[in-house]
This record gives sequence, structure tokens and C-alpha cells, in this order.
Amino acid sequence: MNHTQSQLPAEALGHIDALYNLARWLVRDPVEAEDLVQETYLRAIRGAHQFQPGTNLRAWLFQILRNTFFSLHKRKGREPEAMDPDVLDGMSPGIGGAAGGGRLAGPPDGTAGLDLTAALQRLPEEYRSVVLLADLEDFSMGEIANIMACPVGTVKSRLFRARAILRELLRDYLP
Amino acid sequence: MECSEAREQLTDLNRGRLGAETAEAVRTHLQRCAACRSALQTEAEIRALIQARAPRYAAPPALRRRIEAALAGSSPPGESVTHDAAARTRGIGGRSRWRDWLRGHPWTLGSLAGATAVLLLVWAGSLWMTRDPVARLATRAVAEHAEYAKGLMQRPAPDPLTVVTELRSQAGFPFEPVFRGDSQVQLVAGMVSDLLGKRAATLVYRDGQGRYTTLFLMPEAGTMIPAEERMPIETFKPHHRVTSGRHLLLWKQRDLACLLVSDLDEAGMAAMFLKVRKAA
Repeated sequence: MNHTQSQLPAEALGHIDALYNLARWLVRDPVEAEDLVQETYLRAIRGAHQFQPGTNLRAWLFQILRNTFFSLHKRKGREPEAMDPDVLDGMSPGIGGAAGGGRLAGPPDGTAGLDLTAALQRLPEEYRSVVLLADLEDFSMGEIANIMACPVGTVKSRLFRARAILRELLRDYLP
Repeated sequence: MECSEAREQLTDLNRGRLGAETAEAVRTHLQRCAACRSALQTEAEIRALIQARAPRYAAPPALRRRIEAALAGSSPPGESVTHDAAARTRGIGGRSRWRDWLRGHPWTLGSLAGATAVLLLVWAGSLWMTRDPVARLATRAVAEHAEYAKGLMQRPAPDPLTVVTELRSQAGFPFEPVFRGDSQVQLVAGMVSDLLGKRAATLVYRDGQGRYTTLFLMPEAGTMIPAEERMPIETFKPHHRVTSGRHLLLWKQRDLACLLVSDLDEAGMAAMFLKVRKAA
């Protein structure tokens, strides 16, 4: 047996739902999401010798997932309905969500499930991932910065701006 | 503390993750800055909304089994899997992954006979996919339809004109005139969706018995409409198939490929098709 494979802790399997969830938000298609998660684990198994026992396995796996996403999907280009992250990054942090916004169609009855999904998909990947990693996975800013390979300050400003954009897109659903 | 600095700390303030000193500085700023107080509220609202309402997708059991086997080092992922999953493995990882596995697992050679059988299935599967390019599109459309129906349950129908107007501004391509509902069927939502990379203006309808029908309008005429399995409905002959128990109709009108997925039975679906087709 390849000795490097046994080094990946069995608890790695415990993160599969969270990894698959982010994969679905990244690629949307269930089949492609499965591919992405499978490739993530394969890379983790192959690179298990690089993992330091006792450090953050979960964050490490998410980092591999996102890197794998880029290596598999870089050819596909930007998502059609997402806003331009370069434009958003260049905006003043105080500015809200008017950028490329536009209200989402649907009834203002407070059941925002469907439209929240659409609103999140309007965010560019760099913003959507930050929001999901912070709110659904409860990663710290430092962990998100590691996963996204960017400075902590960038994570914080993207998170703030993403919320302002979502607030604008979902203004019919919020008090 | 400046506004820009304070605003970047709001998530961690709400999560109770700021050091005492920073937290105090942010709170002091908030006391004298109404805009940042409002931003703090937005932060909490959006975070709560995402946690309560954002869909969470669970890994399919087959994927879990493959990863579990891989982690246990008992078999390479894809070896004991269904043929379509093996096809996916081959499509992404390519040959290098198998080479790596074989290098690390000389005993794997013993199971090559099994792998060959799997590969034959893969080959047969890929032939099938080539001959039936609409299959994946249909599967994806049904999955989307089911998700919409679930998400829209119990929601009152909005003003159809508003839905269509807003969808028009989002879609980026002309799709009107379009069926806006009638006394039997209501238009309950409109959104832009993504069907395997094809951008679609999507309209969801609900009848009096809570059965949903989803109409996907795609600007790409490149979507292939199979010549076979046509269903004659009055003078029209859309392609018809059943995927996961749901009827689908696929046809072309003007420059749009149109895909209708429905909870209705065949007769109901045909009636719905006529409404949609004639409105256009």
C-alpha cells in the first residue's frame, strides 16, 4: 500500500457534505459537483504527506476543493449572470449593492429560499465563496483567507460588500 | 476608528470573535455612526437569512462510498462505481490518476478484469450519451424543476406582468410573448437559470391542484431537438420523453429552444404545451 495514503485521517470523510455543498454552489451541476469533490479527495490523498496532523484538516480540504475547482473549470470562463469581481473589488467599501443589481422576480412574502439562491448565484465566485464559508461553514476570517489564498483584509471587505449587494437584491424579502 | 475599518469587523462582532479591545473600538464607533449601525443590522439579517434559507446540498451516497473506499485505501475511486461515475472519473482525472493508483497498488492488477468490465460499460454509456445528447439536459431540467416546485410551495402567485418584466431585464435575450397564466394555471415565478451552461429564461407555473410546470427558454438554437419520439399535439410535434417520472417536451420556436417539464400527466402536459406554444 502506498504509505502516503494512510496518512490522511479517516475523519476527512466527515467533511464530505460540506465540501459537496460548496461544490454545488461553485459548479451548480450535481454531476460536476461530484466530480469536483471526488477529485478533491484524490488530491488530498495524494498530498496527504503535506498535511500536518493536528492542524486544520477541514480548512485544508476546502482549500484543495477551491484550487481543484479552478484547475478544472478555468477554461469555462466567468459565470454568465455573475457580477464582475474586478469592478466590485474596485468599489468603495461603503457602497451598497446597486452594482449590476436589479431586483429578483418573485413574490414579497418572506419565503426567500428560491430567490436567495438566485441572489447568491449573482455574486461572483470570490464573493459567494466568502459568504458561504463564513455563514454556512463558520470559518474564521484567517481560515477563509487561507482557503481563498488572499489577504484577510480582502476577505473582510468582500464579505461586507457581498452582504450589501445581497441586501439590495433581496430588499423585497427583508424587513 | 473609521467607517471602512469598522465595517470589516461587523461579521466578527456579530459572531463574538473580536478581541476585547477591537470590539470596544467598533462599539464606540457604532454609537456615533448611524450608517454603520444600519450596516451591522444588514450583516445580521443577511447572515441569518443565509443560515436559515440557503439550500444545503448533501453528498450523494454513491460518492460517499467511493471516497470512503479511497480513504480506506481499499480500492481506487471509480473502480467499484457505476459506469457513469466511472466515466466521470475518467473524464476528469484522466489517465494519470489511474497510473498513480496502479503505482501505489500493485495488487490492483488482479482486479483489472473487473475494471475492464467497468470500462466496457463506460464505453457503452458514452455511446449512449452521444446518441442521446438531450438526456443530460433532461435530467438537469427535471432536477431544477423539482427544486423550484419545492421552493415555491405555498407561495402566493405574484403579478405575472411584474414577473415577466423583471425576467426580461435579467434574461438579456428576447423571449416574449410568453404565456402568463390563465384561469387554470398561474405563473408563480420567473428567473434566469443555467442548464448545463445554457442560459435559460425560466418560468414556473402552478395549477389549482398544486402541480407545477416549468418552462425553460434558451436562446441557443444549437440545442438539438431529436427527430424521433415526437408527440403530435394538434399541428405541432414536439419531442417527448419521460425522465424520472416527469413528462418533458422539447421544441423550437423562433430562435428559442423550449423545454417544458411538468408534474402533469400526458394529457395535462399536452394542454399546457398548447397554452405555452400558442401564447408565443
